[in-house]
Amino acid sequence: MKDMVRWFLLFILSFMLIGGKLAFAGDVGTMLKAMADPAGAPFFPVVMQVLQVLTWMLHMIFVYTSIGGLFFTIYGFTKKEERWQRLAKATLELAKVSVSLAIVLGVAPLLFYQVIYDPLWYTSANLSAWWYVLFIVFLLIGYYFIWGAYFTKDKPSMSMIMSVIGVLFLLLVGFIIHVVNYQALYPEKWVEWYTNGGRAMNASGWNIYAFNVFRYLAFLVFPSVAVTGVFLMLYNWYFRSREDMDKDYLDWAGKLGARSAMYAGIGWLVSHILYIFTIPADWGVKGSIFTWLSVLGLVLCAGVVFSSQKNPAKMAIPSLLAGSVALLLIAVFREYLRVASTARFGYSIYSYKLNLEFMSPLLFLGTLLTGLVLYAYAWWMAYQAGKTPKGKVYEASETEHHLGDLSVFIVVLWAIVFIGVGLIVVVRNYG
Amino acid sequence: MDVLGFYPMWYVPVVGSGLVIAIIAAIHVMASHTSVGASILLAYLATKAYRENQPQIYDYIKKYLLGLLVFSYVSGSITGPGIWFSATVVNPRGISALIHNFVWVWAAEWIWFVAEVTLVYILFYTLGKIDQRSWLRLAWIFALGSWATMYMIVGILSFMLSPGHEKWFTTGNILDAFYNKNYFPHLLERTSYMFAIAGTVGLAIAALMKKDLPEKVYKDIVKTLSYWGIGGVVFGLMFFAWYVSTLPERSHVIIEGVVPLYLKLPIMLIILVVLAHFVLAAVRPQAVRFWMAYPIYALIFFAGVYPEEKIRETIRKPYVAGEFLWVNQIISRDVPAKGIKSEVPVIDQKGLLTVNPFVPEGLKKINSQNEIMAGKAIAILQCSGCHNVTGSTGLRPFGQKFAGMTDPNAVYGFLTSYLRDNHPPYMPKLVGTDEEIKALSAYIAHMISKGGSVSAKIEVTNTPSEAKKEVQP
Repeated sequence: MKDMVRWFLLFILSFMLIGGKLAFAGDVGTMLKAMADPAGAPFFPVVMQVLQVLTWMLHMIFVYTSIGGLFFTIYGFTKKEERWQRLAKATLELAKVSVSLAIVLGVAPLLFYQVIYDPLWYTSANLSAWWYVLFIVFLLIGYYFIWGAYFTKDKPSMSMIMSVIGVLFLLLVGFIIHVVNYQALYPEKWVEWYTNGGRAMNASGWNIYAFNVFRYLAFLVFPSVAVTGVFLMLYNWYFRSREDMDKDYLDWAGKLGARSAMYAGIGWLVSHILYIFTIPADWGVKGSIFTWLSVLGLVLCAGVVFSSQKNPAKMAIPSLLAGSVALLLIAVFREYLRVASTARFGYSIYSYKLNLEFMSPLLFLGTLLTGLVLYAYAWWMAYQAGKTPKGKVYEASETEHHLGDLSVFIVVLWAIVFIGVGLIVVVRNYG
Repeated sequence: MDVLGFYPMWYVPVVGSGLVIAIIAAIHVMASHTSVGASILLAYLATKAYRENQPQIYDYIKKYLLGLLVFSYVSGSITGPGIWFSATVVNPRGISALIHNFVWVWAAEWIWFVAEVTLVYILFYTLGKIDQRSWLRLAWIFALGSWATMYMIVGILSFMLSPGHEKWFTTGNILDAFYNKNYFPHLLERTSYMFAIAGTVGLAIAALMKKDLPEKVYKDIVKTLSYWGIGGVVFGLMFFAWYVSTLPERSHVIIEGVVPLYLKLPIMLIILVVLAHFVLAAVRPQAVRFWMAYPIYALIFFAGVYPEEKIRETIRKPYVAGEFLWVNQIISRDVPAKGIKSEVPVIDQKGLLTVNPFVPEGLKKINSQNEIMAGKAIAILQCSGCHNVTGSTGLRPFGQKFAGMTDPNAVYGFLTSYLRDNHPPYMPKLVGTDEEIKALSAYIAHMISKGGSVSAKIEVTNTPSEAKKEVQP
């Protein structure tokens, strides 16, 4: 991989030399390298990169079900039919929980990203500083409107108004993060933007410098409907075994999901291709395998969803898998764009200064393993509770009790080790 | 090209960009301390319900969990990243320094953060739907997981104040940085107070449910919360005393000489009010009222958490991270273990405007035409983290600090003797070339002569190509 990037860099640099752009690239490249934190990365950048891609994908699933869930809620509340009303409430519930998960899962990709692409992120955020802060304010307002919609779900018109306001705020929040990510891809323009071409210092933080509508549609709007469509197929699949659930309603919801996923998937594919065409030619993106793999992923996913139309419940898991693969390829493509953009100026995360240490990665690994055990236990119990008909109590099996005991034990052990190490260090340094 | 890694500067006139962090951080601390404290209190109450066979306690727990979801988890989980977002634009190099040292600690915290958020939903939705033993286990995992997030963040916050030991600068060992002198008292102090915070809002919820719960259950809940609350306040005070004893010398100077009484006094008063409230509730549970408990909870925010956060931010000065990065984002000393070099010599030699890539070319070489604007740019870049540099109101304003000083030479004398050559322990040294300090003096004298308030805009008169010619020898 490293060699590939080096050859790629060499190719881009020679291309620039021919085009007479070397001096300019040198300035931007020097600036980017100077901005990289002098503390260096505490671990191999490629690991940060991979974790960033994977966690971004997880984060986006719930971003999509937040926005897509609200789209279905709003549309459902406009219909008089009982099944639409019921679906509207179900997708509202989905959106409400999804926002929480999207927030919590969104922390990780941004964290890993900031270790290796700090020049991109901090600059772009500061170019539009007020907007970046307002992201938090708008998200807070939007989320409270969604909770408002949830508490008024038995008054459809009120709940719908709150859902509309809620989704508008989420789309606005998506717009802000889109702008910050998009501006970050154009380091050659940062100084020009901030200084109005050398005439000022735009320290107010109120400016927005770049936006790409196709990217916004491809990364946020269309996938929201498509992914929520797949979730409705899973909704059908999951609740089918529950005797107190209406099978006709579930089948209808599953088919609606499959149809929505297909139409929105086409929109996703078209906007994705249109976005690719807007990327400047000197990035060399259009001929890249990562670009076309992302397109292929969407095409394959569309194929699976297309074949799910007749029996969405049966095809729910294959659709989920196909959708996950497509989203992963898009996450890789999105990361590749950063590599391609920064390579023009000789910036490579693979040559990021390294201050390697192993204690804190070990802490992460230990915590991750602890977390996986307890997540497995907690989510399994939630899964079983959801399958239990209303009014009944799920009695855990002996195996489940053992898993529960193991989870408690491992969490306590984690805490003992964490505090114990701390005590040893403190006594050694200050005792 | 001499470039240091500065980012575009964001300047918020009057109140300062730091206030944005302070507000978001205070909301987060309130919400997170409520939820972490509540997670342990609720797990304890659930154990009581299970062991003493008091199922009505679950009704109370369910209501509290809903309250947590709507208030603490929405505002807490958004304002948590919110502190990070605001720090990104207020002090990008500060947050970057922390992330590049503690990324894995934050990543580990994230594992608990995910556990905490998913578990609060799972607990809410599965209460009464799975057997009590399983639910109780989940409740304790939730409690420990929530508390674990505090284990993590406290180490980073303590490092921001000080690595605690000279050793870290040469070892660069993360354990030395994280488990610093301040860590345990800080963790225990926050842990204690969180019970008082969660207990106070717990009393408000109990008061709302007084009619729905059997008298014995109600009294049991109120007394339990009160005992935990009293313990929280008493232990909190003890650990606070320990915490203060671990502060660096400069922080003591700041607490005594810089932190105003209007920030210190409300904290002491609210601690007394909260303690009195718990004692009253423990002695006479029936006397607890929502209209009393909830305003006290709100007062904890305004009189306790907000001033505490402000003081904590202030006593860290002049640094923002690890006693090597100043609050104005200039690296002030070498950290040999990390290969970090002080930027002060380069800035003093080349000039702050020259090394910042986001300063227009037309300001890099100072002349009589651009002197005022160059001075304003220096003020924004170097001083606006702690001062309103364009007005007479708000955050430690220049208009007041330099009141009456309309002579540039007088300002220059003050800046060089008081801030450059003999700077106070809570302020960074004034850096830059002599020419730049003269430009800053000229700007300050100019703004004072204009009535102590000028526009925050920075405009350049000569074209970029003219400027480029001037800069090049």
